[in-house]
Amino acid sequence: MRLTDLAAATKTLKSGDRAIVQGNPHESELLRRVTSADIDERMPPKGAPLTDRQIAHLKKWIADGAKWPTHWAYTPLVRLRPPSIPAEWQQHVRTPIDAFVLDKLLRRKLTPAPPADKRTLLRRVFFDLIGLPPSAEQMKQFLADASPNAYEKAVDHLLASLRYGEHWARHWLDVAHYADTHGNDHDFYRPNAWPYRDYVIRSFNDDKPYARFVAEQVAGDALFPEDPQATAALGFLAAGPWDHTLMSTIREDTVDHRMGQNLDRDNMVSTVMSTFTSLTVHCARCHDHRFDPVRQREYYGLQAVFAGVDRADRPFDTDPEIQSQRTKLLAQKKAVSAKDISKLPALDSPEIASGIAALAREVADRTEQWQALEVASTSGAAGTVFAKQDDGSWFVSGARPEKDTFVVTTKTTLKGIRALRLEVLPDKRLPHGGPGRYDNGNFHLSQFRATAQSARGEAKDPVALKFTRVQADHSDRGDIVANTIDGKPNSYWSIHPQYNKSHDAVFEIEAPVGFDGGTTLTIQLEFYGKTGHQIGRFRLWATADAAPKIPKGQQVIPPAIASILNVPAKKQTPQQRRELVLYVVSKKVDEALASLPAQQFVYAATSDFAASGSFKPSPKPRPIHLLVRGDINKPGELISPGATACMTGLAGSLEIADVDDESLRRAALARWLTDTRNVLTWRSIVNRVWHYHFGHGLCNTPNDFGKMGGTPSHPELLDWLAVWFRDDAKGSLKALHRLIVTSATYRQSSQGQGRGQQIDSGNRLLWRMNRTRLTGEMLRDAALAMSDRLDLKMGGPSVVQFKHKGVASTFMPADGSPAFLDYEHFDPDSPENNRRAIYRFVFRTAPDPLMEALDCPDGGAMTPVRTTSSTALQALALLNNAFLIRQSEHIAARVAKATNEPSDQVGTAFRIMLQRSSNTREGAVFAEYIKRHGLANMCHVLLNSNEFIYID
Amino acid sequence: MNLFSETGQAGFPSRREMLRYGGMGFGSLALAGLLEQQGLAQSQAVSSETKSIRPLAPRQPHFEPKAKSVIWLLMNGGPSHIDTWDYKPELQKRDGQKLDGADRKTGFFATTGTLLKSPFKFAKHGQSCAWVSEIFPNLANHVDKMAFIHSCYTESNNHSPALFQLNTGLNRMGFPCVGSWITYGLGSVNENMPGFVVMTDALGRGLPKGKALNWGAGFLPGVYQGTPLNNANPAIDNLFRRSSQSATQQRRLLDLVKASNGEHQKKYADEADLSARIESFELAFRMQMSAPEVLNVTKETEATRKSYGLDNKKCAHFGRQCLMARRMVERGVRFIQIYSGGTGDAESWDGHKDIHKNHSKLGGEVDQPIAALLADLKQSGLLDSTLVVCGGEFGRTSDSQGSRGRDHNPNAFTTWLAGGGIKGGVHYGKTDEFGYKIIEKRTSVHDIHATLLHLMGMDHERLTYRFNGRDYRLTDVYGDVIKELLV
Repeated sequence: MRLTDLAAATKTLKSGDRAIVQGNPHESELLRRVTSADIDERMPPKGAPLTDRQIAHLKKWIADGAKWPTHWAYTPLVRLRPPSIPAEWQQHVRTPIDAFVLDKLLRRKLTPAPPADKRTLLRRVFFDLIGLPPSAEQMKQFLADASPNAYEKAVDHLLASLRYGEHWARHWLDVAHYADTHGNDHDFYRPNAWPYRDYVIRSFNDDKPYARFVAEQVAGDALFPEDPQATAALGFLAAGPWDHTLMSTIREDTVDHRMGQNLDRDNMVSTVMSTFTSLTVHCARCHDHRFDPVRQREYYGLQAVFAGVDRADRPFDTDPEIQSQRTKLLAQKKAVSAKDISKLPALDSPEIASGIAALAREVADRTEQWQALEVASTSGAAGTVFAKQDDGSWFVSGARPEKDTFVVTTKTTLKGIRALRLEVLPDKRLPHGGPGRYDNGNFHLSQFRATAQSARGEAKDPVALKFTRVQADHSDRGDIVANTIDGKPNSYWSIHPQYNKSHDAVFEIEAPVGFDGGTTLTIQLEFYGKTGHQIGRFRLWATADAAPKIPKGQQVIPPAIASILNVPAKKQTPQQRRELVLYVVSKKVDEALASLPAQQFVYAATSDFAASGSFKPSPKPRPIHLLVRGDINKPGELISPGATACMTGLAGSLEIADVDDESLRRAALARWLTDTRNVLTWRSIVNRVWHYHFGHGLCNTPNDFGKMGGTPSHPELLDWLAVWFRDDAKGSLKALHRLIVTSATYRQSSQGQGRGQQIDSGNRLLWRMNRTRLTGEMLRDAALAMSDRLDLKMGGPSVVQFKHKGVASTFMPADGSPAFLDYEHFDPDSPENNRRAIYRFVFRTAPDPLMEALDCPDGGAMTPVRTTSSTALQALALLNNAFLIRQSEHIAARVAKATNEPSDQVGTAFRIMLQRSSNTREGAVFAEYIKRHGLANMCHVLLNSNEFIYID
Repeated sequence: MNLFSETGQAGFPSRREMLRYGGMGFGSLALAGLLEQQGLAQSQAVSSETKSIRPLAPRQPHFEPKAKSVIWLLMNGGPSHIDTWDYKPELQKRDGQKLDGADRKTGFFATTGTLLKSPFKFAKHGQSCAWVSEIFPNLANHVDKMAFIHSCYTESNNHSPALFQLNTGLNRMGFPCVGSWITYGLGSVNENMPGFVVMTDALGRGLPKGKALNWGAGFLPGVYQGTPLNNANPAIDNLFRRSSQSATQQRRLLDLVKASNGEHQKKYADEADLSARIESFELAFRMQMSAPEVLNVTKETEATRKSYGLDNKKCAHFGRQCLMARRMVERGVRFIQIYSGGTGDAESWDGHKDIHKNHSKLGGEVDQPIAALLADLKQSGLLDSTLVVCGGEFGRTSDSQGSRGRDHNPNAFTTWLAGGGIKGGVHYGKTDEFGYKIIEKRTSVHDIHATLLHLMGMDHERLTYRFNGRDYRLTDVYGDVIKELLV
């Protein structure tokens, strides 16, 4: 029996009963159960039974038809007229917001607080819009500006400032739970998280229409392929923590690994739905949502939307022009590999002709000496699969047994062969890019053997080749390449730690070999010992050079192409000619691609990344089953991608042209989220913005609009704002900010006593403005602004504001010992410290004690609302933190530069730090303090004062 | 100054909000306490939007508690139950034989070996005749104070998920740990010290896997997270004033801050968050004074220091932490967790390679200090109100890994409790003849948590926090108080 909504409550149950039969209490199972004398049947199962009065209410309600109002959040948005306000209050109405607020106040016999004074208002709106205090000079100008729109001018100035995006991005990153490390046990560094942070800042500064902002973060790659920033936006889906152990370290066949994948998708689903729709769909992972009309199958439908993606580094071009070039080249590359000649330049174009001619010359002039061996057959242990690649190399996949021997039969016409060369190549399908198949990209080649025999007619027995010497471009310590010809199976060649690049081993033969009419060389690569330590991609070569060298960056012409080029042009068949064209085009495309500037990576949702351990991309979206009671061991029916049907007038189904294309799944969800009928999306964002301006939302649970969440204080205003924002402001956040901060409601004083305090101490009705506390970031940035040391450089990799024992690329100590961060002894004057706090490196499991004491989130969970605590540890941090003390000294130096008279110094310090002059008493007391304890200590006092830390 | 004058009344939480908080001792609290409650009650209604006003002030439990403080000794790495507290004579006999029903998926490394007898000698101790391994010669004298749960299990064979489960009830990151729930529920009786303190390996061998998440507050307000004591100075971040400032200067600074805040407060008379902030500076000043004193074990007599092994190189580091824990308990710190061992296998109770070598070393580090702690608490009478918990995140396999090691076994391990309302000499639950699986009274981490909260005077079903659309509990939807362990 479920009573979450009318449909559930009135449907026929398994027993044949219906919980509620509208208009008929006697047939309603619910009524029977609440009145049952049988303790096992009676509802509620725990606690006291309902009282007679409650039962009578229930009965009457059912008899009257069980009218079930739709929960406020799911009802359609209608454009409301602001309430009319009595004439004597008209002048208080600056915006429609004020009419809604005032109407409620007057009904409760409350009156709004008087307007805040100009100084308070400017300080408030500066911190609110850009996260920084006004300078003494800015305050002075504003106070001197008597024009009626002085405030509006200041607001426009702030909204146009790049500092605005930096400040509001911080709010957004709280919700996205962004950080620079993965979290969990190892808490590894995530070096490419920051492009998403920069994307958010840029989007706010550009005033990107909200619908586009939403869509980009869910499916920017699919919906706006021409805009590279839309790819950086996908960092949103990957911003939360990632469990390296469950996702990558432990075996693929474990329950923990599968549960890890499930929870990883759960994090994506809950982040998307909580952020954009304020809906707690994740409560339906184990069963239908207990309180809101979200079905368990809908939840898994949402998981299916993200079934094709994981979190990994994803390349993108920062310059749209470069991206467009790259896109064209990649399309050509695709045409080449599909051998689709229609999309390529004509056969006889001069460009192609000259390319072919150049190749032919190269082959003819080749003095050198490494000739690729043409492979006739390959074999390995059962389950090992060899696949020929375009460049003549071989890619190995399939099972990874403990022991394996690759037997590669090759043919060559070369005579007097003096050496063989094994080239191992990187491949992004291999762990860490290979060239080995083991989880770390390594291989253990224990023996390299070869035999030769004549390729002509009935051959004699093959002759085993004896190698006199072997050299390689790189070997791991101890595991040297000579081990491959020592005849011992348990020593081997390894290339650790030089992964993701090619390596060569050259084997010199005692006596030259090569038969007239061709030679068959059979090469054996033997891998012993540890599971999976095979080579993942290789190519074989031979040379007649008596002093064979490891080639450096040599041009490789595949044997097949070289043999065509050996045929005189006139004798080439059209088929051969076509092969040459394809080859020339592919080479040109590769060269052009290589000449483009390097791509930037963003840690984002992606379906294309190098495998690492059990963490592998899925070529097609993974099948998603409903899990009975959320148990990974109890898969139920297969679920296709979908959303939820909880809103009136918006279906929960998604239209997806090709479900095998995972990006189309996300694109469909993005369209659903930004649909004008998606009332949750529009209500959610205006409430979120309101929350940051006023300190609490109209609905005070910004991530939860469900029945367990808060009830809006002004539902009509919320709906009016949502409609206005969607239709009139076209999703412009700056327009919304302007509307809010220019309202009389926002401009009220935060002081107030009397009736408001008595009947609404929480100020839900907004009879005054709320006083808020500076966040850790605002406090830090303000200290730097006041000491005049704030570095306004924008963007780029996160700045490290701690000492650490790790190597710079990973922050992990080279010896594998646990990461150790030291904030306490980091030089407070280090230039890194002068950047805005939005750019600081956030280490999930090792937060900065100062920021932590000031309630900054650590990225472990979504933080729609920050706490504001006052603890002894916070006070200690403010009193003793080296950075803050140093800023006090810098502020003091700045003040001392202006004047050395203590009483004047008090005034200057007050103007810089509190944006007001000191009064006579303060002047006297603080001047006396300066004389006794110094100017720096006096600045430190102000930094600790409530007047500084609170925004009145 | 009257911080809590009658105007504060207007801010009372609604009755509904109070009820949602589980009706914690509403009627019995003083006005000041009510304001504290308000902070919490709002945090209930407003989820993380907590206007926290002195969130650590003491609060009434649901019912009369047995224990006022908890010392949790976490043997990090997964100590072997069958080499410590769960003696298996059959295992000794069948050494080298095949283990029927061995499951490759039990351990982390997915291998199975043959039955491996314990390399340690066992003997019976105490009136309760408990079998104890020779690695605990001192602890063996205290078995009559301990209640053993031999049927513990966790749900992951991997360190950090199992540690997260042990600490938060759930085997993934981001949830509040026991210490956070307790300080959230009860506050701290000594605001001169943090209410929840964590000590990690003092030999610089690193943090337990999962690091600070093991003492994180998750979705609870950040003030409830554990304060880790640094092994270097200062023990608490930003505890000491900088050398550029003299003590008098800092005192004068505080006085002037107070005066200037008083001016500001005239505009906002009787607003409790401002008062709380003013007060927080006084608390900070006192903590700065008192914390170093609390943590200074040289204040103890030489005999006491010696009893904890402070003169013994092998165990001095852990002994100091145990002694600091006792000093903190004396001063009302609610929840203290001490981790034995660091990060690496060989440097924690993670005997993959050689169980004898590993457990001899780690056992030697904790045996004397913990025994001294129990004796000391008992002698001073503090044991009655202090719950001591000792165990790891899982046990170890009965079959061998390599020739002398054991892999993780999340399916069975032993945890013991003592003091604070625990009945001594009890053995609860049972494993099979090799200690491989539980055969009686399976005991989840939730059961242990429920019991712990019960002893602290809280009903684990009523201690809730609204987050993300749900009223969360430490015990999720599970957990039973283990009545058999209670006095």
